[in-house]
Amino acid sequence: MITIYRTIAWIISFALLSMLLLPASSLGQGEEVTSYISRYGQNEVSTGYYEKYEVRPGNQSPLVRKFRSIDREPFAYSSTAALIRIRSRLADSHRGIKFYNNRRCEECHINETHDIHTVRENITCRQCHGPEPIASIDHYYSPLNPIRRHAYVCAKCHEGASASFASYVVHEPAAGAISTRSSFPAMYYSYWFMLALLAGTLAFFIPHSLLMGLRELFGKKKDK
Amino acid sequence: MQKTRIKRFSILDRGFHLFLILTFLTQTATGFSRLFFSTGWGKSLNSVLGGYQTTTLIHKWVGVLMIWGFIFHTLYLLTRIDWKNPWASLFGPDSIVPNFKDVKHLWQRILWFFGLGSPPRIGRWAYWEKFDYWAVYWGMPLLAITGLALMYPIFTSRYVPGWTLNIAVLLHRAEAILAVSYIFIVHFFVGHLRPSSFPMNEAMFSGSIPMEELKEEKPAWHDQLKNEGKLETSKVRAPSFLYKIIYFIFGYAALGFGVYLLINGIIYSRYITLH
Repeated sequence: MITIYRTIAWIISFALLSMLLLPASSLGQGEEVTSYISRYGQNEVSTGYYEKYEVRPGNQSPLVRKFRSIDREPFAYSSTAALIRIRSRLADSHRGIKFYNNRRCEECHINETHDIHTVRENITCRQCHGPEPIASIDHYYSPLNPIRRHAYVCAKCHEGASASFASYVVHEPAAGAISTRSSFPAMYYSYWFMLALLAGTLAFFIPHSLLMGLRELFGKKKDK
Repeated sequence: MQKTRIKRFSILDRGFHLFLILTFLTQTATGFSRLFFSTGWGKSLNSVLGGYQTTTLIHKWVGVLMIWGFIFHTLYLLTRIDWKNPWASLFGPDSIVPNFKDVKHLWQRILWFFGLGSPPRIGRWAYWEKFDYWAVYWGMPLLAITGLALMYPIFTSRYVPGWTLNIAVLLHRAEAILAVSYIFIVHFFVGHLRPSSFPMNEAMFSGSIPMEELKEEKPAWHDQLKNEGKLETSKVRAPSFLYKIIYFIFGYAALGFGVYLLINGIIYSRYITLH
C-alpha cells in the first residue's frame, strides 16, 4: 500500500517538475503578432481593467479644466454664435469665425507656438491638428481626442506612444502664471520652488563671496 | 618652493574633481546649445558641437557617464565612513557632513564681515565648502533622474503619467541653471578671484596647501593635526614646476570656457523658458 502511494507521489512530482521545463501552455495559443507589438495593456499606466476597456485611458491629464472667459472678439454676437462659444467638442472648431480663411493660426494661438515641439522640431500646427476643418480635440472623431491621440498623433513620431505618454502637455501653460496654479498645480509649484531655490542660493552666496573678498582685500593686516 | 606643504586632497579626490570639471563643462556646453537653440548664439554653439542631434547625443552619453561617476563616488564615500563608530565619523571634525558648528561659523563670519568680531576658527571643511559639495551631491541625482526620464520617455510613461515629463523638463532645466550659475559665479569667485586664492586656489590640483594657508584659513584643522600628531606625517612635497604649468593652463582654460558660457547665458537669458 505504502509503495503505491510512494509511486503516485513520485509520478506527480515528476510531472510537476517536467512542467517547469516545458513551454507555457498558453504560448501555443499566441496571437499572430510580432513580439515587438505587445498588448496595449502592457504599455499602460491605468486602472488595470484592460480587456474590457482596452482603448479607454484613465483620467491622466494634469490640467484642471475650467470654463474660462474666452476672447470673444472674433465671434459674432448672435444666438448661433452663442451656441458655439465653447468650442471643445465641434467637428469644425473654427466654425463661425469671421474671415477665417484669411487668418493664420498664430494670429490667435500665439502662445501655442512657443513650445518645444514647435520651436525645436519645427512641427507645424497641421502635423498634429490635421487639415481643415480642424476638429476640436474633444470631438468624438477627432484624431486628437484623448482616447486615440497617442495612436493617431503621438505615435507618428514617438513609436510605441501610450495614452499615458500622450498626457504630456504639449502646449504648456506659463509655469509661473497665477492661472497655472489652478490649471496645472504640479508645474506651478515646481516652478516657484526651483525659482526660489535659485534666487535664494544666489542672493545669499553672491554677497557672501563679495563681502569675503572685500574683507580680505581691505581688512587683512588689521586682523593679524 | 621650499615652503612646507600639508596634504589636503588625495589623488582620488582630485580625480573626482577633474572628472566633474570635464563632464560638467561638456554638459553645460551641450545643454546650453539646446537651451538657447532659438538664439543665434545657441545655433552657432550647436554647429560648433556638431549640430542639434549630435549635441543631444553627447549630452546623453556624458550624462550616463556622470551617473556612473556619482555611483562610484557614493561607493567611495561609504568606504570613508568608519563603520565601527559611524556617528563619530559622520559628525567628527574630519567629516564633510554639516553640523551645528557650521551655523556658528557662518554667524561669526557675518559678524566678521562688518568688523564685529574675529573670524571663525574653521576646521577641515569650511561651511561654504560643505555647501559646494552637497549642492552637487543632491543636484546630480535630480538631474540624473529627470534626465533619464526624458531620455526614455516612452518607457517612463509606462510607470508614471506622461505629464510628469513636463515637470521633468522644468526641473532639469531649473536645476541645471542653478548649478551653472552657482559654479560659474560663486565657486569660480572663491577659487580664483578671492584675494587669498588669487590667481588660483591650487589645492584641488596640487593636492596640498602651504602651511601658512593652513594656519590662516583652517586654524582648527591645524590644531587638530597638531594634537593628533599628524602634522609631520601630513607634510608633502611641493608640486613640480611642469605640473604647475599644466594645471594652471588647464584651470584657466576651464575658467575661461565657463565664464564664456556664463556671460552669453546672461546676455541671452531673456530667451530662457523653464519649460
